[in-house]
Amino acid sequence: MAKSLVGRLIAWLESQRLTIATRELRVLKREKTIVLALAIQLFVAAFSGFLVVGLVSLYDPSSVEGLQIEAAVTGDASEEMQAAIDNQQSLNATVYTDTADAYEAFDEGRAQAIFETAVREDRIEVTLTAPEGSLETTLVVAEGQQALRALERQQHAERAAHLSVQPLELPEDRGGNPYFDFMYTILLPLLVFLPVFISGSITVDSITEEIDRGTLELLRVAPVSLIEILDGKAIAMIGIAPIQAMAWLALLSLNGVEIANPGWLFGLVTASAVIVVSLAVAVSLLAANRRSAQLLFSVGVLLLFVALSLLPINPANTAALLAIDSASTLTYLVVSSYLLAALVVATGVRQFVGRVDANRL
Amino acid sequence: MKLLGRFRRIWRIARWEVSLGSTSFDRRTLMIAAVLVVLAGSIVGAAMVFGLGGLSPNQDIYRVGIDADSPYHNVVESHSALTARPADPELLESGDIELLVSPADDSGTVSLIAAEDDDTTAVEVESTGQSRLSVAHAQSEKGNAALTAFRAAVERYNDRLMALEENQTAAYPVGVQLQYQSQQQLVQSDDQELPDDAENDDVEDDESVDSGDDTDEDSDDSADADQDTDGEVAVDDDREDPVVADHEGSFVEQLFAGGTDSGSPAEISPPFPFSSLLLAFVFLVPMNFIIQAYGGTILNERINRRGELLLVAPLTRLDIVAGKTLPYLIASIGAISAISLGIGGGIVSVLAVLPIALAFLSATFVGAMFARSFKELTFVTVTISVFLMSYAFVPAIFTNVTPIALISPLTLVVMELQGDPIGVGAYVFSTVPFYLSSVILFLLGVGVYREEDMFTQKSVPLKFLDALDARLRGPKSVAVVSGLMIPFVFVLELLAIAVLFVLPIELSIPIILVVMAAIEEVAKSIHIYAGFESDRFGRTTSMALLLGAMSGLGFFVGEKFTAISQLVGLPELALGEATLTPSGVTPTATLGLLAAPLVLHVVTAGISALGAKRDLRWYLVAMLIATLVHAGYNFGVLYFYG
Repeated sequence: MAKSLVGRLIAWLESQRLTIATRELRVLKREKTIVLALAIQLFVAAFSGFLVVGLVSLYDPSSVEGLQIEAAVTGDASEEMQAAIDNQQSLNATVYTDTADAYEAFDEGRAQAIFETAVREDRIEVTLTAPEGSLETTLVVAEGQQALRALERQQHAERAAHLSVQPLELPEDRGGNPYFDFMYTILLPLLVFLPVFISGSITVDSITEEIDRGTLELLRVAPVSLIEILDGKAIAMIGIAPIQAMAWLALLSLNGVEIANPGWLFGLVTASAVIVVSLAVAVSLLAANRRSAQLLFSVGVLLLFVALSLLPINPANTAALLAIDSASTLTYLVVSSYLLAALVVATGVRQFVGRVDANRL
Repeated sequence: MKLLGRFRRIWRIARWEVSLGSTSFDRRTLMIAAVLVVLAGSIVGAAMVFGLGGLSPNQDIYRVGIDADSPYHNVVESHSALTARPADPELLESGDIELLVSPADDSGTVSLIAAEDDDTTAVEVESTGQSRLSVAHAQSEKGNAALTAFRAAVERYNDRLMALEENQTAAYPVGVQLQYQSQQQLVQSDDQELPDDAENDDVEDDESVDSGDDTDEDSDDSADADQDTDGEVAVDDDREDPVVADHEGSFVEQLFAGGTDSGSPAEISPPFPFSSLLLAFVFLVPMNFIIQAYGGTILNERINRRGELLLVAPLTRLDIVAGKTLPYLIASIGAISAISLGIGGGIVSVLAVLPIALAFLSATFVGAMFARSFKELTFVTVTISVFLMSYAFVPAIFTNVTPIALISPLTLVVMELQGDPIGVGAYVFSTVPFYLSSVILFLLGVGVYREEDMFTQKSVPLKFLDALDARLRGPKSVAVVSGLMIPFVFVLELLAIAVLFVLPIELSIPIILVVMAAIEEVAKSIHIYAGFESDRFGRTTSMALLLGAMSGLGFFVGEKFTAISQLVGLPELALGEATLTPSGVTPTATLGLLAAPLVLHVVTAGISALGAKRDLRWYLVAMLIATLVHAGYNFGVLYFYG
């Protein structure tokens, strides 16, 4: 039984489908378009990498070697402010009794931040001065904000009697990277689903162009049926999407981003590629010309993607959950349902192609 | 009258283009579109009905073991990235949860206290008596990040609690005013920042509010002599109003207000305009669809010689292109204006995004003129989208951090949404390169809008050389083309600076100098190579040297124009100025210094031209040499004058 299935699969592929698929890929190679596609993705990855490095070094003080912000504290509430700052590892407070001295220290670069405090109407007013237009600015403000929030918490604790609701105790900060999830939730879905979208787009181009230029007729003179031609084109396009996606995942893990569940991710990307490419085939046969086909395809896929992201079966979130190793049974069920949907959509589209009169295209 | 007739012709082509577009969207297409919209709409509708709308991409990525009756359960539930799981220590050991928050009451408090060098998978962070909070996290980067996310969630939860608190003084015991001040120029800028009336107001305010603290004393005896104290006192004055006003806004309003400089500690934000950025990104989305349709219609003209009809009509090429582009330009402006209205932007947003739209259209036009097939066009449009979107979007992230962000017009949008003032200089600086690049790209494309290029199958690089060659007439035109390259050089160099500025300065400066030398050498010589390849110029040494000299001269003159615009526009952009200085863009340069870059450009362009007259391989080798010479010069200038 199993042998006959494999045999049938080989026989199915050995018909003209594989020839057409390899021809499709050869054209991509000749036109250097696939090279361009990879270059684009590399550009995206490089820019995102730049973004991540930039964000992390700007916002995560522990990643900046030996960074120490000298803070000048002055004014009425210096004592409280200093206590709050002392809790921050990357801030180092010095109290100045004279405000002018604090500003002088800032001006001469001995301090990167000034906390100027005043007590008014039972509230502590703080003026935080940060250096303008330097790379440290964001860091100083972010760290300063942490210190000020610590001051606020400390004041809440002191005024607990006046509060009708008590704020919850905060856990200690262990310097975890707040942008840790960026790689998994934004970059990874982008890299994984961009090849899928590009595959669908090329499918539309490839089919409508044959129709437009009348070369489909020539191909039809050869002893191949329309369904074989479209199968061949679709196989080629479905094939390249997961390969690209996996290459990206490999690159990411080489860069130290741990990727869990690669098998499931492969399944998810393949299923999405099947669905998107099938839709592309259907749209290019249905639409009147290339322009409307391409527009319908891209708007349609985008709409679908946005609509799906509102549901628990959100593909971007599913990919993120799988890669970051937070997948639950539900996540695996979602991937399985995508695979099932891919099967249904592909079968449906093939049924439809079977009924299309190739001579009327 | 003649001009009017021309407009009429362009308008007719534009109308024809629109009618062409609308008939091609026949009933069947509309039906498919309707089906798609209904399908997507029903999914959205279903999501709304089940109350699932708006899942964030980081939904449930951190799993927190917590009991349902814990006061922290609400915190976990209200934060999208966190999801509640049973509070079982074994789940933490097996890696099925990242965080374990202990029950609120003392019974059953988990204790996973581990020494630093212990290889247990979890460490306990805290166990305090007051609120009996005890959190353990998995000993991994993810576990640590989960703790940070949990901490942020608790903070936000507390903020919401405090917003409900009736006693606002107790809820907000600390008020913050954030200000930025340049460290080196503090003393100089004080004079400008201190109008007399502000000083006077301030003294009055302080006396009425404060009860003899040291700030007060300072302002009392602050004669005009003590500049530093004045600076600080003036700031006090600014602080008074916004602090009071800010507490009126709801928490959600605060969240979406972008960066604020005053309020409670939770309300001030580091210069990271997240929501404004997201809104600015919305401008870029419709561009992608417009250029797809636009690229399609241009390439359509080139398939099966369809465009021949228009070419033989009594119209200039420019008219045809203008007519075909106009509907898409109008559509872009319409989309931009609608979005600007929708997100609360103003006229500045529209004016800032317009050059981006033009850049999208012009790049797509050139791409469609070069592409051999729709497949190739798809890649070209994707490349353009990705490049322009990154170029526009990524620098805008650093809007409040560094002036280099102004290389993207989107930064202006972010600034407007934040309510920051935008100077004319800033507008000119960030948009003029886009305007100029767009015009030049259109010119390049129009150059190959002719029969011998439209209907032939050449590879993209050859088409590109053809397009450059179409701009050339005699040796003088080489100088003009070199000058026209300046906006692209500017854009590319600024992009290089933007990408490299995260690196440490001792690494980024040399790389930038070499990259800039390479960009400029290519810009000065690529059209010379195109001219030689098309046999426009005789392949002699004297011709090569002449062309090199013309190219160097044209480039030099063009560069001087950017220097002037820099002078007028943005004296404060220290980084850009510093980086452009090696090529001689110093306003204070003496005559000798002015001549040096001219000599440099002429010499290096001559080297490249000598190589270009042989073949591609020689051209590349010569350009490498020219780049090295140029980079050496850059280092020299930086070394002696830096």
